[in-house]
Amino acid sequence: MAHGFRGWVRRSTGAWLPRAGTHDSGEIEIKSRRVFILPTRAGLGFAALLLVLLIGSVNYSLGLGFGLTFLALSCALVDMVATYRNLAHLRLQQGRAAPVFAGQEAQFELLLSNRTRLARYAVWADFSDVREARHVADVAPGAQTTLALSVPTTGRGWLAPARVRLSTRFPLGLFLAWTYWRPAARALVYPRPEDGAPALPLAGGAGNNPRRGGNDDFAGIRNYQAGDSPRQMAWRQIARLDPDIGGQLVTKHFEGTGGDHLLLDFDALPAWIDLELRLARMTRWVLEAEARALPYGFRLGAVQYDAANGAAHQAACLRALALYGMREAA
Amino acid sequence: MKAASTRLAALALSRDKADTMLLLVSALLVLAPHAAHLPLWVSLLCGATLLWRALITLRGRRMPPATVLLPIAAGAMIGVQFSYDTLIGKDAGVAMLVLLVAFKMLEMHARRDLYIVIFLCFFLVLTNFFYAQGIGTAVMMVASILLLLTTQLSFGFTGALPPLRARLGMAARMLVFAAPLAVLLFVVFPRIQGPLWGMPGGSGSGKSGLSDQMAPGQMSNLALSDEPAFRARFFGRAPEKAQLYWRGPVLDAFDGLTWRRGQGRVSGRNLHLAVGEPAHDYEVTLEPSQSRWVFTLEMAGELPEVPGHQVRLSSQFELTADAPLDARLRYRASSHTDYALQRGEQLEGVERWLLLPYGFNPRALAEGRELRRLADPAARVEAVLQRFREQPFSYTLEPPLLGRNTIDEFLYGARAGFCEHYSGAFVFLMRAAGVPARVVTGYQGGDINPIDGFMTVRQSDAHAWAEVWLAGRGWLRVDPTAAVAPERVQRGLGASVPRPAPFGIDALRGMNPFGGEGNAWLARLRDAVNAGNNGWNQWVLNYTPERQRGVVQSLQQKLLGWPFVVMLSVAGAMLLLLRFLRRRRETDPVDALYLALCKRLGQAGMARSLDESPSAYAARLSAGADGAALKLAPQARAAALDFLRRYSAWRYAPPRHDAGQHRHLTATLKSLLSQVR
Repeated sequence: MAHGFRGWVRRSTGAWLPRAGTHDSGEIEIKSRRVFILPTRAGLGFAALLLVLLIGSVNYSLGLGFGLTFLALSCALVDMVATYRNLAHLRLQQGRAAPVFAGQEAQFELLLSNRTRLARYAVWADFSDVREARHVADVAPGAQTTLALSVPTTGRGWLAPARVRLSTRFPLGLFLAWTYWRPAARALVYPRPEDGAPALPLAGGAGNNPRRGGNDDFAGIRNYQAGDSPRQMAWRQIARLDPDIGGQLVTKHFEGTGGDHLLLDFDALPAWIDLELRLARMTRWVLEAEARALPYGFRLGAVQYDAANGAAHQAACLRALALYGMREAA
Repeated sequence: MKAASTRLAALALSRDKADTMLLLVSALLVLAPHAAHLPLWVSLLCGATLLWRALITLRGRRMPPATVLLPIAAGAMIGVQFSYDTLIGKDAGVAMLVLLVAFKMLEMHARRDLYIVIFLCFFLVLTNFFYAQGIGTAVMMVASILLLLTTQLSFGFTGALPPLRARLGMAARMLVFAAPLAVLLFVVFPRIQGPLWGMPGGSGSGKSGLSDQMAPGQMSNLALSDEPAFRARFFGRAPEKAQLYWRGPVLDAFDGLTWRRGQGRVSGRNLHLAVGEPAHDYEVTLEPSQSRWVFTLEMAGELPEVPGHQVRLSSQFELTADAPLDARLRYRASSHTDYALQRGEQLEGVERWLLLPYGFNPRALAEGRELRRLADPAARVEAVLQRFREQPFSYTLEPPLLGRNTIDEFLYGARAGFCEHYSGAFVFLMRAAGVPARVVTGYQGGDINPIDGFMTVRQSDAHAWAEVWLAGRGWLRVDPTAAVAPERVQRGLGASVPRPAPFGIDALRGMNPFGGEGNAWLARLRDAVNAGNNGWNQWVLNYTPERQRGVVQSLQQKLLGWPFVVMLSVAGAMLLLLRFLRRRRETDPVDALYLALCKRLGQAGMARSLDESPSAYAARLSAGADGAALKLAPQARAAALDFLRRYSAWRYAPPRHDAGQHRHLTATLKSLLSQVR
């Protein structure tokens, strides 16, 4: 029964709360009016105990029994205030939400800061659609605590998390105080890289030759990667660098000239393949090209990037893949 | 990773252990006072169970399985049945509950069990009040609650557990905040006069105080008890000690050995009582006695009103309640020390007070008959008193044992006795002499405590005296004991019978209520303790619905007066101010300084726009974008830029909790701000 009631309160408070302030951007303080409080099951048990104590005191005319009853009742009320104060006036701030690939867990950072002089203990936090909160933190006066709340992801695109529910039963566990907060943060979810994707479309995008394109121009050396031919190993450099002092195996890197660039072109993929699968394959290729440090050009619909390398380039490409065809492309 | 998690597990375990030990200690504190009334085997079993649990916790053993626990629990139940002859009822119930808490300790698995144990402990604190409700018990109660709260609180932590002392402090703070509210509730929460249902099983709590019969040796037993019988507070001057006769049972039937209340009591509503001035008004707080006697000073002009009871007056002028008095009661009464009861020429049913048993005490009978030669009954009374005074009678708490003809042996042999001997022998002689007479028992005397003005009447003040009826004068009180030991009546028992000092230390004689001359400050200490106990009884234990009505009414009168309203508004204003100040304090001082700087720059003509970060603001300031308007000296501008740089660096740095650094930054920013003019 208690559960049903609590569930109802949870739903009904949840229903009108977002209207009060849809998105809380930046640091916000948990205002007193946004803290809800209800007795827990233990609290209901304590209420029953108080009733029994009162009846016993009346029936046996125990003057001291009245004292005990009222002291216990007052302690419960003090506990109610303490539970409420354990949550109220905490400050919340959203942290970063790093992009993830679909299927991974997106991590939303939640920064709890306590600018009051009251130490906060056992503050539970999680998304409101999670049944049992998984994260708990203490926040000392003047201190900050960061929690990473994770959400499983399925599809690509922007992921806006559900409201965050902060709750506490501290100190005596007789009351549960909770509040909701809707962070503005959203996480970008890249498509899930295709498993067992075909090899990179080297040599103009159509080739299935896994070997380096063009053996002619020496373009430098790069770290060894599994699959590099021993013939391409830069033995002279390897000999100079002792692996024990941080030296690594390196491979000579040759580049073909002219149009021999690696171009990851979405349109080059057969249109009969499922859209998501095509995107997944593109994602895999981007990752692979980056891992092999091959400069790659990228074309996806209107998005077109020149051949390049590096984290920023990869992020731009993946972002384009994640948001392809999404209305909310921003 | 694995190592870290096992270390965490070890930490959690030791934390669990600490919490469990704390729970054990609080349970022990709650259970310990019960040992005073529980059978020894229950206390020992509980102690052993708690010890077992402690060993399990410390050694990290497993809890015993149900197959071990159930037979022990069943055995304990059988034991309770044997000890109390019942499983229900008050005392047996408490014993069962105590055992339940002890056994529950061995069967704790979930968090819910913890709450159950703590709640049961709260209830056990209450059940202890069946047996003791003194100030010491109250102190014990607060200590128990403190420990129980600390335990409950300790289980609430999820992170690092603060040291025990800090947790005790948190619980103590909760208690301090709770106390005023508890006091308020205690005073104004509407009280209902119990019991709500028939008092279940008042077993074991025997009657105390005066009984309905008197045999040699009974009163002297009472004389050894310091227990208060009742307390009285006089609204005017208290009567003299020699007038303090608190009337109780009247014994009129003698079977040769024991004086009893005879059969055929009728209502005394029609008894004629003539009273003279002045009347003494007083309030009696009667200790629970389990008997029906309502004591008043001789003679009560009207029936006192005892809350929750009907008071009846018998034809012997005894006041009784309609049910045994099992709670402390308060009633007001008014008495006249100058009175005449049934002052007529004829006494109805006079034979009743002349009856004597056949075949007992022949010598006394003969002596009484002899007295009839005196024509005036008053002269016969005087003759017997004369005899007590002049012959070597003595007053003692340890009278020699008497045989069959108790009165003969007393009058002609031992000549030493206590009030029951004297009053019994006197009434016997009077009846033999043809004067209607009866024994009256009750209390005589009482000590006024100079600290609170309450008069305490103790069981040791129990007394027996006599009443004789003389034509035209009615029933007259005659105290033959006073003839033998006048100091008994004038100064109390202690003066007439010396008693040993506590522990044989003479200086402690003052501690003894009958110690007589002892150390003065010890006597004062005793008075203070008694006054404290009495205040406790009056205001805490016997805070009845009537008293509450009085208190609430006087509170209402006080609260509606303007001084209180003014006080309340001042307090309210103070609170608001405090809140305001606190809110100001809650903003970080560094942020406050930043806002102050922005304000000052705004006054100088370069206000920060709302969406501007400190660094953007600084950039605009150093570029002097709207330079023409800026009224700021170059030095001040440099200081402001420095300020913004430091502030920005601090604000956007990863969070640090270095109080010293924070203080240092605050000081720097403050000095920079002062340079921005």
